[in-house]
Amino acid sequence: MNLSVITYTVGALTCLACAVLLLRGYVRVKQQLLLWSGLCFVVLAISNSLIVVDLVIVPQVNLYLARLGTAAVAMALLLYGLIWESN
Amino acid sequence: MVQGFLLGVISASALTAGVFFLKFWRATRDSFFLAFAAAFIIEGLNRAAILLLARPSEGNAAIYLVRLLSYLLILAAILKKNFDRNG
Amino acid sequence: MRSMTENAKGQTEVDQFLISRIDSVPHLEALLLVWRCRPKTWTVNELAERLYVKSESARSIVADLVRQELIAVVDGRPNEYGYAPKSERQDVLMKDLEEAYRRELIRISNLIHSKAPASVREFARAFRFIKQRQ
Repeated sequence: MNLSVITYTVGALTCLACAVLLLRGYVRVKQQLLLWSGLCFVVLAISNSLIVVDLVIVPQVNLYLARLGTAAVAMALLLYGLIWESN
Repeated sequence: MVQGFLLGVISASALTAGVFFLKFWRATRDSFFLAFAAAFIIEGLNRAAILLLARPSEGNAAIYLVRLLSYLLILAAILKKNFDRNG
Repeated sequence: MRSMTENAKGQTEVDQFLISRIDSVPHLEALLLVWRCRPKTWTVNELAERLYVKSESARSIVADLVRQELIAVVDGRPNEYGYAPKSERQDVLMKDLEEAYRRELIRISNLIHSKAPASVREFARAFRFIKQRQ
């Protein structure tokens, strides 16, 4: 199996796990930092999944800009949470 | 150009997030945050390194191995947090 | 009368408790208030008045203490809260805590204030999926 596909699948699953744990935590304790970082990891999971889709499922279409765009959105969400909510 | 801009945004954001996590590590002495800091700083530097590649959208073994490393750091931190004292 | 070593052990347990379960000085004072006046039950507004905080603050303090299983909603009276010991050990801890706060107000306040913000601690806590003994 392609090492790059393995890498990004691991990446997507890791990000998904972080997202689930953080958003579950947000529901429990209502700390905004958990919401924004949770959302960041959701979008990062999407970004990682797009890489796998790009490489394996639709190799004829270039999804590079979409991959970069989602990663940038994810980081913006995280930074927003860190700056405003970590006090 | 857009690609370069997005890579710059992602890289700078990841590095900044890494610095925030370093601050949290200092405040809590919880190595969990150190792992997150390392993961985000490594990934930030990794994204910047992509700018050195001739054909970035095709990826590069070194790039995705480094990314894999940063995700494994996060996974290891999560596992350690849960299984450390309970053996 | 407690021996010196028993007192020292009690002190570190108190510190551990404060570090892991008390988010702020008002949280501590709310808990001690409920403990001291037990078995009296309190509404959020009554606590807000006694603690000199706004009711929203009191409401969130109460929610945190309930989540920590230190106080609980009274059976049949959903707006009232009372002390809810999970074990005899907790009663001993509360006694030590009350005494420690009386004797070392400044040290304990500093201990609480030196903690990382609650959001940061909750970030790390969110990643625990294994139930741990508190």
